[in-house]
Amino acid sequence: MADSAKPEAHAPNPDIDSYAHESELEAHLQTKSMVINMGPSHPATHGTVRLKVELDGETITKIDPEIGFLHRGFQKSCENVTWTQCLPYTDRLNYLSAMMNNFGFLNAVEKLIGLEIPERAQYIRVIGSELHRLTDHLTCVGATGLEMGGFAPFLYGMEARELIQDRVTELTGARLTTSFGRVGGINRDLPEGWIAKVHKTLTRTEELLVEMDGLLTRNRIFVDRTKDTGVITADDAIDYGWTGPALRACGVDYDIRKVRPYWVYERFDFDVPVGEHGDNYDRYLVRLEEMRQSIRILRQAMDTIPAGPIIVDDWRIALPPKPEVYGTIEGVMAHFKLVMEGIQVPPGEVYDSTEASNGELGWYLVSDGRGRPYKVHVRAPGFPVLAALPHIITGKMLPDLVPTFDTINMIGGEVEQ
Amino acid sequence: MSRILTMLVAMATIVVALAGGVATAYLVGGFVEAHGFTGASRLTNIVFLMLVFVMIIATLLTLAERKWSAFMQDRVGPNRARLGIPGLKNRSLGGIPHIITDVLKMLTKEDFIPGMANRFLFNLGPLLAFAPVFALFAVVPAGPTVTVLGQKVDMVVATPDFGILYLFAIASLAVYGTALAGWSSNNKFALLGGVRASAQMISYEVALGLSLVGLFLTFSSVQLPALVGDVANALSPATGQGQYLWSTQVFGLDIGIPAWGFIIQPLGFIGFFVASFAETKRAPFDVPEGESEIIGYFVEYSGMKFGMFMISEFVEVVVLAGVTTALFFGGHNLPIFGEALANNAFMQEHGWVYGTILGTVFWLKVLFLIWVQLVIRWTFPRFRYDQIQSLGWKILLPVGLVNVFVTAALVLWDPSLRALGVVGILEIAVFVALTLSKKENSEAGAHGDAHGHDHGHAAPAGAHADPHPSAAGAH
Repeated sequence: MADSAKPEAHAPNPDIDSYAHESELEAHLQTKSMVINMGPSHPATHGTVRLKVELDGETITKIDPEIGFLHRGFQKSCENVTWTQCLPYTDRLNYLSAMMNNFGFLNAVEKLIGLEIPERAQYIRVIGSELHRLTDHLTCVGATGLEMGGFAPFLYGMEARELIQDRVTELTGARLTTSFGRVGGINRDLPEGWIAKVHKTLTRTEELLVEMDGLLTRNRIFVDRTKDTGVITADDAIDYGWTGPALRACGVDYDIRKVRPYWVYERFDFDVPVGEHGDNYDRYLVRLEEMRQSIRILRQAMDTIPAGPIIVDDWRIALPPKPEVYGTIEGVMAHFKLVMEGIQVPPGEVYDSTEASNGELGWYLVSDGRGRPYKVHVRAPGFPVLAALPHIITGKMLPDLVPTFDTINMIGGEVEQ
Repeated sequence: MSRILTMLVAMATIVVALAGGVATAYLVGGFVEAHGFTGASRLTNIVFLMLVFVMIIATLLTLAERKWSAFMQDRVGPNRARLGIPGLKNRSLGGIPHIITDVLKMLTKEDFIPGMANRFLFNLGPLLAFAPVFALFAVVPAGPTVTVLGQKVDMVVATPDFGILYLFAIASLAVYGTALAGWSSNNKFALLGGVRASAQMISYEVALGLSLVGLFLTFSSVQLPALVGDVANALSPATGQGQYLWSTQVFGLDIGIPAWGFIIQPLGFIGFFVASFAETKRAPFDVPEGESEIIGYFVEYSGMKFGMFMISEFVEVVVLAGVTTALFFGGHNLPIFGEALANNAFMQEHGWVYGTILGTVFWLKVLFLIWVQLVIRWTFPRFRYDQIQSLGWKILLPVGLVNVFVTAALVLWDPSLRALGVVGILEIAVFVALTLSKKENSEAGAHGDAHGHDHGHAAPAGAHADPHPSAAGAH
């Protein structure tokens, strides 16, 4: 506590210098800065991160984010299992948008193999990703409102999220840990009548977005709290390695879906909202607009999705159909080899990234050709964002920390892996 | 549909219960005056007003707040607790059993005192927070003075000469409880909360006092019964807020625009409402609690001590509504038909019926203002600590000062208060216009084109639109 205060050389420190007390009556009142621990268990720290905050009154003089409370050894775990078995681990990275992690990982593996997946599978991946982008942004915007005392926007967001998660459950069988998709495509086609249901859900989500928008966007208190707080310049943001909505809020038009389109994103008509000031308000607005754009993408994708296979017809990569497994020796052998030995990914390394809800979700994969990953590294979008927090918030007030921490939307699971 | 029916039934029940309570209060008051000693009705008033009305409303508020917030947020609200009585076992009863479970929970929880806390002050904190707000209601008149059983009975606990100054004095004591609770817990979060609370409450007392000066000038009194006033009758002209600014007779009934505080003193009303809202420490002024930042000044309290803080908050809500009603909403006076009712022969003969009607009117107004507070509480996010200070010192204080001078000049120029009424109605029109224009702007701005979406950052209305966000919600 005292060592970080760094008193000037001539000023006696009452804690360590005994002579300080001799002139106590003449001396000014000694002040000490206060160190408080926000987290690891604190209402404003999503997941479990600990912020060691040093306060001078209400002003933050120093802040030290401490991560690791959710560390699960993701990278090491992946080295011990087959490529397909990595999939459930990726669910737990950003648990708010598990499908994006699933698909990002699969995309990287497919790139390493050099595989083109069927068109319908690409559409389903877009649909799944955008659904989960919605849930992620809804949570972020809702929590921003909640932690500034506005409970209603949060519950509106939660209602929309629940509806979407119901659809996700129908699609994947799980609410959070979807483990959806397989190398080479998708393991399960869209359920019957699902698209109509999603259209309905999206209509309701749009209504709820209008409500959230009405409660927050022009709310004087909300604007005062968020505008010009948590500001970061575009240059600093790039230096820190920011991506995603937080970077776009600074005015940098960088969205991997547009810059380097993957899957079938270039077929859809959507805008990338770009902010200007890089403050909390812009990050909030960018997220709000991205949700509307996600809904646009979803509607287009669901209207134009083609029929066809959902996974490649290659028994070295995808499991053979069950009649083949039970009926033919080739089927049994392919099934056995895939399950026991895993997909034989050729040796090599690859970096591939997709636009996840919070930014560029990058995968650096190394394969030695033995059916298991040699190395899996994730470039989690939340990590650089959290790393810049001290830069943003030092010298600002403690109440500014809360909206800033909300709008950068750091997710414990992916930061700590 | 069933929800609407439930609400209608609940409203009817509330009106009947209020009328019953007020009638009982008047009759018992008259009885003890007649058979006891002079002034005995004041003692029963303590029981009825402060224990029965304020406490019961505050207790029910704990449920009403949760139900209403649920209503606003597309939820059902508390409905799980059941009474284990045959016939009621499977009914949620609108969540009423939750009140009992809450009380039982509070009473039976461990009363934890942190090891390093100052035990005496730690125990004193909740009491100091609770007692002052409870005592505030003593000077608020909750009904007219009527003759019951041949005795004059009024519906107020005390009518000291210094009137509303008592309110200021006692209200400022509440800050000690909060500050002590924050300091004595020996917890850094609680300390921050206590410091924030003391700064906020002390600075808003200035605005609070100033916002009422205009009202004192208008009615030349600081006593609440005089401010509330009475309607004209055969013996005396109307006084206080019982008088009309403009009135006419239709079929022998009087209608018109009454001289209520919020009409002749809209600025004073907004200033008072905002400032007293800040004093209650509820959202959007809940930075001392600030649950997502610093958890609050009562973070170390558990059990009934925490319950005392909570219930004192709800009592504050009731008292604030009561005081605002008395000061700015005509107290127990009816907006129209007041004179016709007062001069009705039956009403003059049976004073307690007249008292019951007007007393019920008072409590309905109180309930309305409580509802307004709930809506504000669940609509707005929280201010930042320094923004609260600048709202208090840079906006409310100057506005209050201007209001004092303008009011004084207008009262001097036109003692009939009509000039004041015209200015007041104009001010209200301006507020309504500002509020409405803000809405249009938000619709135009929010659905802009995706790419330059953020360029309308400083919307024209945003800059000047509303220095009193919570008050704008009240209109």
